[in-house]
Amino acid sequence: MAAGLWIATKKIDYTWRWNRIPQYFLYHQEDLQTVPFDGRVSRIDKLGDKTIVSVISENGDEKNFEIDTATLQVDVDDELLVGDEVGATLHWRAGPLTLGLWTTLWLSAVASVFGMVIGLVTGLCRVSNNITLKQLSIFYIEVIRGTPLLVQIFIFYFFLGTVFDISRIVAGISALAIFAGAYVAEIIRAGIQSIPKGQMEAARSLGLNVPQAMIHIILPQAFKRTLPPLAGQFISLIKDSSLVSVIAITDLTKSGREVITSTFATFEIWFTVALLYLLLTSVLSQVIAWVERRLAVSD
Amino acid sequence: MIKTIDLKKIFTGRGQTIRAVDGVSTHVESGEVVVIIGPSGSGKSTYLRCLNGLETLTSGHIIVDGIDLSDKKTNLNLVRREVGMVFQQFNLFPHKTVLENIILAQQVVRKRKRDEAEKRARQLLVKVGIAEKENVYPGHLSGGQQQRVAIARALAMDPKVMLFDEPTSALDPEMVGEVLEVMKQLAREGMTMVVVTHEMGFAREVADRVLFMDHGKLVEEGTPEHFFTEPREERAKAFLKQVL
Ligand SMILES: Nc1ncnc2c1ncn2[C@@H]1O[C@H](COP(=O)(O)OP(=O)(O)OP(=O)(O)O)[C@@H](O)[C@H]1O
Ligand SMILES: [Mg+2]
Repeated sequence: MAAGLWIATKKIDYTWRWNRIPQYFLYHQEDLQTVPFDGRVSRIDKLGDKTIVSVISENGDEKNFEIDTATLQVDVDDELLVGDEVGATLHWRAGPLTLGLWTTLWLSAVASVFGMVIGLVTGLCRVSNNITLKQLSIFYIEVIRGTPLLVQIFIFYFFLGTVFDISRIVAGISALAIFAGAYVAEIIRAGIQSIPKGQMEAARSLGLNVPQAMIHIILPQAFKRTLPPLAGQFISLIKDSSLVSVIAITDLTKSGREVITSTFATFEIWFTVALLYLLLTSVLSQVIAWVERRLAVSD
Repeated sequence: MIKTIDLKKIFTGRGQTIRAVDGVSTHVESGEVVVIIGPSGSGKSTYLRCLNGLETLTSGHIIVDGIDLSDKKTNLNLVRREVGMVFQQFNLFPHKTVLENIILAQQVVRKRKRDEAEKRARQLLVKVGIAEKENVYPGHLSGGQQQRVAIARALAMDPKVMLFDEPTSALDPEMVGEVLEVMKQLAREGMTMVVVTHEMGFAREVADRVLFMDHGKLVEEGTPEHFFTEPREERAKAFLKQVL
């Protein structure tokens, strides 16, 4: 299949330009240094990579410019006019793909934390004996699981965003968190219900009340059992976060699209974007696997 | 210490009603060891679980140490900390070590300091004979050891009464003795105990009084000598013939 693909791409005559990709992660930006007056270069001191250029104006003012040696454009005694370049300073700047990756990362992280909290509270309501709480949580779970995330994001952005005047980023994070919360709630419910009844009874018989028994006995055990499905949920969340690009949040996916409009390196960029998502999700899996090993000591 | 008056517990579900406990009135004096025996499904566990409020009663009264459990205003958590319970399936907390199992409720419920709780836990581990296992997780212990930890865990709350629900039924035969030994020692020390068991030897040796239950009813009640030698009721006679 790989060979087939290779032949097919040969046929469509696509020029691969992988060498263009790195600059969208990190690039060297030149800040041009220009003289603010007419004058003459009085001295040039080369200090390795840096160079100090001194310029004296017609009425005797002296001004020093520190620039990178490689960009030096003048010689001693050159006459300069207002706005002429002396040289430039170079700075490393994060490119759009790096910024997009970062946005996706923190967006998913914040949404995960809120999703976990919402899911935990809803999951507890779901198993509680209070009928109202139970029905409300079931309603929430059903509504969220029964509608597409994309539609939820639009509702959050266009409807709730307008009514409550919330920014696109808050709308995006809320939509993701509330979406994840519904799934987390079901995972937590299943986890709690998988703990043998005897655990709660033993805790109660020792005089612990229900919240204490939950905190010390049931939830720690349920957490251990729900770690694999929770991990899957949060990995999904990272991937689903690409949908917020539709409400113009510059996450990894949107950055990729923007880079494509200026480079036309469509194939390379999408492969790169896919790899970056893979990087995020596999790092998360590794972290979770490590936590799982840590928790396995009591087995 | 414990008094039950016309205690009823009726389970309803799937169109049938089960009168698990059907009008039991009895009392347990302070320092007394009461053994409850009876055929499977006769309501022994349910009765015991009512005594510390794990089951809500349908009607009647339970008075533990002067507090009426059937009163809506009673805080059951306050009663439960005075009533220790040991289960057939041990129900140790698998994510905590032996020591942590024993200190948890002391800290959370009794608000003891960590070192005080640990000291009490170690005393009790010595008493039940597994001092060397304090840092082991329950999953690595034999059934008999787990049950002894469970007894220590209940004792750590310094309860006024201990309830045992078939504490040796889930054990391999060679481990029954070590658990019964701990229970006998407790009885000698004057602990008030209510024990559901099929160990007739234990009942005969340790019990001050034997209660025989059948179909949720308290059929016969008396000293072990009376019960094992000349039971009045036909059902008790039939049961004894089977088990002895
Ligand atoms: N939670 C419950 N819901 C419905 N029925 C129950 C429940 N718990 C117990 N029962 C029923 O109540 C009756 C008494 O049960 P219980 O467990 O008290 O008997 P037991 O004397 O302890 O029996 P065993 O010796 O087998 O432990 C049984 O018929 C049982 O099926
Ligand atoms: Mg039973």
